[in-house]
Amino acid sequence: MIVNQKVAERERSMTLSLGKVWGQYSIIWVLLGIIIIASIFLGESFLDIQNFVNILRNNAILGILALGMAFIIISGNIDLSIGSMLVAVGAIAIAITNFFGTLFNPELGWLAIVFGILAALICSAVFGALSGLIVTKGRVPSFIVTLGFLSIYRSVSMYFMEGGGFFSNVPAFTKISNSNLFGIIPLPIIYFAIIAAACYYIAKYTRFGRHVYAVGSNEKAARLSGINTDRVKILAFMLMGLMVALAVIIETSRMNSINATSSGQGYELNAIAAVVIGGVAMNGGRGSIIGVVFGVLLLGVISNILNIAGVDVFLVNAIKGTLVVLAVLLQRKEAVR
Amino acid sequence: MSEYALKMIDIDKSFDTVPVLKNVSLFVRPGEIHALLGENGAGKTTLMNILGGVIEAGSGKIEIGGKEVSIHSPSASQHHGIAFIHQELNVVNDLYVYENMFLGYELTNKYGRINAKDMIGRSREIFDYMGVKLDPKAMVGDLDASYKQIIEIAKALLRNANIIIMDEPTSSLTSAEIEHVFEIMRNLKEKWASIIFISHKLGEVVEICDRYTVLRNGEKIIEDDIHKPEGTATPEMLARYMVGRDVLSVEVYEEHSIGEVILQVENLSAHPDLKDVSFQLRKGEILAFTGLLGDGRTELARAIFGDLKIHSGSIKVSGKKIVNKSPEKARKRKFGYVPDNRKENGIVKDLTVTENITLSTLGSFKKLLGINRKKENEVAEGFVQSLRIKVPSLDSYITSLSGGNQQKAVLAKWLHSKPEIMIFANPTQGVDVGAKNEIYAQIMQLAKKGVAVMVMSGEAQEVIKICDRVCVMYHGEIKGELDRTECTEEALMILSTGGSLN
Repeated sequence: MIVNQKVAERERSMTLSLGKVWGQYSIIWVLLGIIIIASIFLGESFLDIQNFVNILRNNAILGILALGMAFIIISGNIDLSIGSMLVAVGAIAIAITNFFGTLFNPELGWLAIVFGILAALICSAVFGALSGLIVTKGRVPSFIVTLGFLSIYRSVSMYFMEGGGFFSNVPAFTKISNSNLFGIIPLPIIYFAIIAAACYYIAKYTRFGRHVYAVGSNEKAARLSGINTDRVKILAFMLMGLMVALAVIIETSRMNSINATSSGQGYELNAIAAVVIGGVAMNGGRGSIIGVVFGVLLLGVISNILNIAGVDVFLVNAIKGTLVVLAVLLQRKEAVR
Repeated sequence: MSEYALKMIDIDKSFDTVPVLKNVSLFVRPGEIHALLGENGAGKTTLMNILGGVIEAGSGKIEIGGKEVSIHSPSASQHHGIAFIHQELNVVNDLYVYENMFLGYELTNKYGRINAKDMIGRSREIFDYMGVKLDPKAMVGDLDASYKQIIEIAKALLRNANIIIMDEPTSSLTSAEIEHVFEIMRNLKEKWASIIFISHKLGEVVEICDRYTVLRNGEKIIEDDIHKPEGTATPEMLARYMVGRDVLSVEVYEEHSIGEVILQVENLSAHPDLKDVSFQLRKGEILAFTGLLGDGRTELARAIFGDLKIHSGSIKVSGKKIVNKSPEKARKRKFGYVPDNRKENGIVKDLTVTENITLSTLGSFKKLLGINRKKENEVAEGFVQSLRIKVPSLDSYITSLSGGNQQKAVLAKWLHSKPEIMIFANPTQGVDVGAKNEIYAQIMQLAKKGVAVMVMSGEAQEVIKICDRVCVMYHGEIKGELDRTECTEEALMILSTGGSLN
């Protein structure tokens, strides 16, 4: 009885502290500030619904990858291979779709696409499990393992695609990304929103999510609490793989193709940047999905602003880089306090 | 030359008005190995830190070679020929022996280029003087632990030290390695160097030392020769001097019934510190394991809990043979483990109080999808009240709690998993006195409920307070077993220093 009262009291104090939530995510303030300043200086070319829709659509893929990367980094690891893995998985997805596309009647094109998506999901989960197994059972740092796979996936993809691209020949394939909900919201934004909500739930309300934080914060204590820390890490890599598959399906559908040389180039670094800007600690254990989503938005808004303001394309990455370093500097300050 | 190489006379020292040394004197002759003995907190380290220039004495004087000196800094201490070899050795594994010898004092030519040839030569001279066969060009990482100790001694000689303080030099060595270090110490003695030897292993003290000084609660109890015409000092005798008779204890032990055997460990060995350990544990019994640093009791706990690979031997639970391949398997078999070094092994610093308490048992909070957070908080709140854990709120980080309260949270984690066999490693490490007794009370409660309890502890008083039975370990083996009625601080000291009773 007393226990229940106490808990209720505490829950009330938790929900009432909305101010605390805002304080926790200082990134939201930063984002709002930037939007206001940009609106003042750039006017309607920036402050326009269609522009914001574009920002969201253009960053949905990065966002999905960053969500997967968040689990990896919170668990105390890193995955550098996702950009290359994306190419390999995308090529497999298109190859399978095309194969069944020529096999079936044109009306059954959707079934070919389902097979393509399933193949992508299965392959990426296997790829993720492979990295996870080598990291845990082989005791090789994830930095090294995934650095190796970064080269492997890219190189093997280039070999099979002869350095060029794969095109989908099932017409319906492009509909996955190039359709709008209610005629205004591009589907990639919807996918990102659903996946972000799922990730938020996983991080906060599932055993796996809790274990990811525990393993990243103190692996030894987690292990001695009877947690199978190896399994947690392998699952995190598999989840990352699934995110790669989802991202690549959206990407290939949008372009109707994947290119061995240019696709996925630098995606891993952008995903890591978004995660870090979103306040996830590089050495694991701390960070939130909400923060990561805002990290993605912040990066996207800034690219957009630089683009509209006519800043030289060659300078854009310098500014993004500065942002990453600043974000980590701020984290340090907070940690010291 | 004066009769004494070193005289520390009437040294007084207080920390914040709490006296830690009261008129302590220490006299060391040239060419002697002098044992400095006492329990933890007796004042040995403080006295040696004064000699090493780490802290300053409140009053008293120090004479070296008959001349009064003042030592205000470690470099002044070094200047007077004193070398302090700490328990944790300061050698770099990835450098050559000679590079270690000259670390920070490298010989260079006038352009600043390292002069390896001279350094190798000087190292060789020192090793010859000491009577050691050691190649200065060997890689330190390839040498066994005794050589690392010897390199430290050689370093001391290189800096012209003739008073060498050795703080528990043998605690991490095997018996063959210990013999090796002793040989070098005897050689040095021949050359009229003085060695102050701090050790808890009284058997070794009797073997190697010439004289001893015993401190207890900051006072000098006795100074005497080891070998006297009427007989040689024994470890038992030294232990009695160290412990004294004024040991108070608050009664925490309660009578409880002890059931049938639940855990049988037979000839358990695990690399590197556990050899052929066998024992039985009954339901409702509190079995303590004690010993000195390097006795293997932590390894024993980890091996049983699946955190350390078992080399040979077997573990049976209720007569059935089991192998705990990982802590996860152990948890599922109803084992619990409150580990030592709470910060490193016990708490997850980025999780909240609730999340730490429910970490091992998250599976029991399942709802349709995911975790029932409300139920989690209810359970945590229950423990906060029953164990009287002082928390700002359930969703504050575990690190905002004091050490004792953190330990209670770790305990709560395992209480909720309802273990049948509960292992505690240093359960009151870094815990204040009040919380200590509360943790003892919880251990008693567990035993009363029929849980089989193992307590690994280096604190003799703790063992005496709570155990039904105690196994004393020495170098990875069980050296003796005592009943609650036979268990005295003296007996524990004798067994854990390698002596035998009767």
